[in-house]
Amino acid sequence: MTATVVESTWANPAAVAGPARGGAVPAVAGAARWLLRTLALTVPVFLFATFLTFLLGAVSGLSPAGLLLGDAATPADVARVRAELGLDRPVLVQYVDWLSHVVRGDFGSSWLNGVSVSSQIGDRLSVSLSVAGFALLIAVVAGTALGVGAAVWRGTWFDRAVTVFCSVVAALPPFVVAVALIVVFSVLLPLVPSAGYVPFDQDPGMWLTLITLPAVALSLDAVADIARQLRTGLAGAYRENYVLGAVVRGLGPRRILFNHVLRNGAGPALSVLGLRIPMLVGGAVVTESIFGMSGFGRFAADGALRGDVPVVQGTLVVAIVLVLVANTIVDALLLRLRPAARRRS
Amino acid sequence: MRRVLAGRVGVVSVAVLAVIALLAAFGPLLAPHDPLLQDPRAILAGPSAQHWLGTDNLGRDVLSRLLAGSTLSLVAGVEAVAVGLVLGVVPALLSVHLGRVVEWVSLRVMETFVTLPFLVFAVAMTALLGNGLQQAMLAVGILIAPGFYRVTRAAALPVATAQYVEAAVLAGASPWTVLRRHVWPKVVPAVAVSTASLLGASLVIVSSLTFLGIGITPPTPTWGGMLATDLQYLYQRPFGPFVPAALIVATVGACNGLADALRDGPSRRPARRKVVADVAAST
Repeated sequence: MTATVVESTWANPAAVAGPARGGAVPAVAGAARWLLRTLALTVPVFLFATFLTFLLGAVSGLSPAGLLLGDAATPADVARVRAELGLDRPVLVQYVDWLSHVVRGDFGSSWLNGVSVSSQIGDRLSVSLSVAGFALLIAVVAGTALGVGAAVWRGTWFDRAVTVFCSVVAALPPFVVAVALIVVFSVLLPLVPSAGYVPFDQDPGMWLTLITLPAVALSLDAVADIARQLRTGLAGAYRENYVLGAVVRGLGPRRILFNHVLRNGAGPALSVLGLRIPMLVGGAVVTESIFGMSGFGRFAADGALRGDVPVVQGTLVVAIVLVLVANTIVDALLLRLRPAARRRS
Repeated sequence: MRRVLAGRVGVVSVAVLAVIALLAAFGPLLAPHDPLLQDPRAILAGPSAQHWLGTDNLGRDVLSRLLAGSTLSLVAGVEAVAVGLVLGVVPALLSVHLGRVVEWVSLRVMETFVTLPFLVFAVAMTALLGNGLQQAMLAVGILIAPGFYRVTRAAALPVATAQYVEAAVLAGASPWTVLRRHVWPKVVPAVAVSTASLLGASLVIVSSLTFLGIGITPPTPTWGGMLATDLQYLYQRPFGPFVPAALIVATVGACNGLADALRDGPSRRPARRKVVADVAAST
């Protein structure tokens, strides 16, 4: 699961962009150029991803006619309902029409119960974002701690332990981790309820308790990946001449770590984090069904199994937007982190 | 192959994968019971002489179901990798050789695939297109294609601009010859490493899907599906999930180990010398 995402520089515009050129260019122009470049790369991806999403519904051959009219419907009835809903128009026309509603936050209504999809997603998004956000936090904190520790204490038992941990975790699918956590912490040692969700404003303590196991299950993969990338990146940076120079100048190990090594060696780990985000968002499908949470991942899976196309399309679009926004943030961080770009601003 | 077997990780990985491949090939024949046969007198029974790994909630023999399910669980993963291989390697080679338009389009398409929220998309695509295993493999193949694309492109790009290739083209070599003689030898080792690691990844996704009950119809046994059933009866059989989970983890771990062995080649640690000697003696 892990080796698929390492060092994918082509997937992230900031890394491909190359060093910022022209020392005389003011920072504002640099930021504007970055924004333009990001838009130029993000908009086609958004359009293509949403088109795929839309196409999925169109190709499925499912229509509300079948669901609304039942098995007794005559072909004429079906054709009439399809025409009423505009499903007999060319796919591209339907897509543009659909997209114009989507950008206004209107995903249509469920074919099964007629409830607005965006309001249903809104109700469930807080569940998924709680878990995904907490998982992201665990991934960043634990991954950084392990990766930095392994790089600072290279060749010691700690370094080897981190390496072993990473390769073991790489073979553990999140749902296996989830089941193991439930067996240990809910069945054998009855410490935590195995399933459910309580909103934060109702009972913060219970909220945290209930999202901890799913978040750990979801994040473990990312922890290992970030730790490994960070260790490789930092160990590489430690071998550079500027670190030797800093040592010769008499700088302390802490200052070398934070000012020289971390800034130069953390890039790959940050890109990995960006590539992990789709998995954190998508992993919601599995963790939510294991831990009995009615989040938006489970909503998507249930909708897909029942053939409720607007529900599936709506959840996919929301997930795609989440991923694109998160990736843009990671790219911005990457650019800020790069010493060469920073020196000029 | 010899390079892979030169390391301890490689030997163990190949051995595990060989055992699992045998299970997949002959598992259904080895099953002591009919995997679908329900025994109402032995529901959620513990291990016994008759049922070595106990029975599930419908009184079906767990060992038989694991063996019968191995074929489906593995073949699905392998086929998904085959789809991903074609959808990743071919566009990557074309992007290097067919100019900027193809390059731009294929880069954006692959970027989109990377951006898609993995499991949600796999679930949606499989379920909406008919909820069969074929659909699942297509979906997983599309999702892992960028992995192959990136690796192939990274290996092929330096070759395409190398001077010796330029010289070959000037000397009248056809694009096909350049591809076969110069590009292919550089691409194959890199793709081999990716194939091993992405096989692990696709096994994880396929088992996640079957765990959710997507891509298969209920009575058919799969490792992921069995794990899902076990989860519902945890209080009766807390160790029920152990065996299917261990099988999945062992398979995925062996794929990752094989990928590492392929990438690193012969041992870096002196401790592995003995294995080298043993393998040399046996071949």
